[in-house]
Amino acid sequence: MRTKPFACLTIAVGVLLLGLWIAQPPATRANGEKDDEKGGHAHVPAPFEYADAHMPLSLWTDQATIARGKEIYAVRCAVCHGDTGDGKGPAGVALPLKPSDFRDKAGVAEMRDNYWIWRVSEGGQVEPFKGKGSAMPPWKGELSVQDRWAVMAYQHTFSGHQGPHVPWEHPESVIVGRDIYAMACVACHGVEGRGDGSVGPTLSPRRAPQPRDFTTGEFKFRSTPSGQLPTTADLFRTVTEGVRSSGGAMTIGLRGHRIMPSFRHMPEEQRLEVIEYVKSLNRAFWERQEIKTVNVPAPPPVTAERLARGKQLYADAGCLACHGERGRGDGPSAPTLKDSRELPIAATDLTKPDRFKNGARPEDIYRTLVTGLAGTPMPSYADSLEPDQAWDLAYYTLSLSNNRRRTAETMR
Amino acid sequence: MVIRALAAIAVAVSIAAVTVWASVGVRPAEAIPAFARQYDMQCNACHTRPPRLNRFGEQFHMMGFQIPSAARPQGIVGSIKEDGPLKTLIDSLALRIVGGLFEYSESPRETEVKFEPPHEVELFIAGPITPDLSLYVELEYEPKAVKFSRDRGYFETEHEFGLGKEAFFMLSMGRLLGAIGAPTMEMGGQTMVGRHGGFTMHGPMLMAGKIDPNTNFSYATNRQMLEATELEVEKEPGEQHGEVHRLPVVPYAFASKFFGLFKNRNEGEPQLVTDQVMYNTTGAPGADFHAMINDVVLAQVGFLRENKGFNAYGALRYDLLDRGELTFNVSALLNWGFGVVRSPDPEEHERPGGTRLDRLRYGIAANLKWKALDVYGAFIVDRLYGLPGELRSDFDVSAAGLTLEVDYLIHEQVMLSGRVDQLWAGGLKDQKMDATVVSFQAKYYPWQNIAFFVRDSVNLRKFHEDNPLRSWKNQLFVGIDWDF
Repeated sequence: MRTKPFACLTIAVGVLLLGLWIAQPPATRANGEKDDEKGGHAHVPAPFEYADAHMPLSLWTDQATIARGKEIYAVRCAVCHGDTGDGKGPAGVALPLKPSDFRDKAGVAEMRDNYWIWRVSEGGQVEPFKGKGSAMPPWKGELSVQDRWAVMAYQHTFSGHQGPHVPWEHPESVIVGRDIYAMACVACHGVEGRGDGSVGPTLSPRRAPQPRDFTTGEFKFRSTPSGQLPTTADLFRTVTEGVRSSGGAMTIGLRGHRIMPSFRHMPEEQRLEVIEYVKSLNRAFWERQEIKTVNVPAPPPVTAERLARGKQLYADAGCLACHGERGRGDGPSAPTLKDSRELPIAATDLTKPDRFKNGARPEDIYRTLVTGLAGTPMPSYADSLEPDQAWDLAYYTLSLSNNRRRTAETMR
Repeated sequence: MVIRALAAIAVAVSIAAVTVWASVGVRPAEAIPAFARQYDMQCNACHTRPPRLNRFGEQFHMMGFQIPSAARPQGIVGSIKEDGPLKTLIDSLALRIVGGLFEYSESPRETEVKFEPPHEVELFIAGPITPDLSLYVELEYEPKAVKFSRDRGYFETEHEFGLGKEAFFMLSMGRLLGAIGAPTMEMGGQTMVGRHGGFTMHGPMLMAGKIDPNTNFSYATNRQMLEATELEVEKEPGEQHGEVHRLPVVPYAFASKFFGLFKNRNEGEPQLVTDQVMYNTTGAPGADFHAMINDVVLAQVGFLRENKGFNAYGALRYDLLDRGELTFNVSALLNWGFGVVRSPDPEEHERPGGTRLDRLRYGIAANLKWKALDVYGAFIVDRLYGLPGELRSDFDVSAAGLTLEVDYLIHEQVMLSGRVDQLWAGGLKDQKMDATVVSFQAKYYPWQNIAFFVRDSVNLRKFHEDNPLRSWKNQLFVGIDWDF
């Protein structure tokens, strides 16, 4: 008798859920209400070309900069945003997308500086603002970067906030990324991003690689020169592709060997949000003056001569000391290699390109050769190889693969 | 004696390993675990070492077998479009072979050494169907399953194939709750309840079907480093039916704990004292709701069928600490089993009586992980209600169990484990007997998905020939745990 209510309840719940699931009721969008509350000014992540445009910290409170910003604001911005920054300038009243109110402390706090410079630079000419009918002019053609920063510094004063407008002053600006980080990253990278989550010590115990410590300046996978921080695009590539393991016990039959998962299915906007949070853990992203990226020229055709030159370079550049003559990661120095944390680290087995951490396309190998891998014994060859030589070496590296067919396709 | 036993073990391991290797004909290109293959991930990303889950693995499980915050858009349809139907199918399948290769058992009167074939072959079909809905089905083949024959009324050994320990679907209910007014957030393709920067809830997730609601508890009973040993049944010469000769070594905290109970009346199947009930069952029909609240509290409620009755339960896990490679959480469990067992007949204790009993189960568990160390334990108390008055003087209605385990990754490929199981049994006073067992295990992983283990369990209590709980002194197993 007692099983009947149980069975009925199970069936009822099942039918209810199935019905609701088939009906696919709409879910609210992340920050969807906020977008409406703020008159269409939801702070979406800035695109790559602006993602690294962080305003120098001192400018936010520099009186000369603020004064310069005030002059520009009065001439170019006040007509829509109002003299007091309330978004109620005479020309702004009739606009379909109302100008931002800079006195809205909460709204300004949620706005990241790279979003801000993007908006000032591109105005309403880009999506999603164009689609909302934004009439904001693009100022990048008329105002220098310094002038745009000056305007931002002055606009910032309307919010009443004292000090630089940065995520550690306004944690709410990276709150979406923080929630994603807490769900997807904290197990390995730790609560504070120091690479000390509980998973790391069992993932590859007492040896490299360990989860990245975001608070230091040491990032392996970059398009920036040796010793520099990565770009947002570099971080985006790592989050999207994940990281492959090149050492330790493997899983029989597994094809890719990722130790960090690929988050390619995470919506692009959310990948950028979590990257903004990760950057907020390291103030050096706001303190760097200039960002240079290495130029990866178009891959030249593969020829027998190029491979022969690459083979010679492989010996001359000392690659075989670690990677071994046949590229199996068994060079004479391999057993002694350590990373910057003094943990033993394996030399990559070059016969298995599908385990290359920084990618296995020719341009990925070129980039690795030129930038090196920070914190590992793999140096940067930017100063010792000409671009053509780097291609020779990149192609020769790929030719060591034990999967000739796939490698031939890659190099084609 | 010891040298002979060790020599026999060494020879047996070598022969058995080669035999299994040759007979199964493993080729690296074909041996791929399903989730590892679906997500192109190493096993160790989700497991401290298979099969035990690490924190990321727990999160992966909790999200419906998906990379947290990265559910594939369109689910299986997206997978078919992207990878093709064949790859999608193959990526959804996995096989696990687990069990002994060799066994040595010792009691004061009898020493037994024998080859032991793997006792379980499991086929998994698992993966997300949509970003919000996942499926997990386990099919199991046991070459020497010990089952109670309800037709014949006694235990017997036979090969068995069927639905395995678990078979369920998991549904993220965020979208449904959003439809009735709850605030929601889109997190990597899944809809979560809550607001960024405020109250957040991963899920709630509904797990329904044949389930074991254990994964999110501090002492997760599934995926133990130390597998339960097998129930042994023996036939006396001239006898038609087998008697239980040796009860398995299991985490006693989650065992039924009572002597003299029955699962049902008509067939007379006994509820063995080491049967895992509620948690760590072989799966039972039910529904489980769980949600991670504000990233620190994991709440779980559900109902689950057991024998002819059913359980209602709730569990709460609080993640107290997460700093610098150190995590610590505690859990509490409360469960009421409505008519889940049957008392013995007051006159004839060997037969089931007419009364079904309710069971209150409550307990706590904790888990500490620090670097390569993983310590977890549970203390669970059971109490029965509804006992016939005639039995009260003969029957102890309270019982408790304690299980404490330590796993230590001494080397990248070697996991050492130790476990203590303590049972303060209840039930018929003329039958009941406490038990204390300590087990040690060394597990060697030549690859991440294949492990050989040597495990020894020692009965710390006095040998008792007539009681299958203590009818042994020492059991040593050499086995294999193979996922592909």
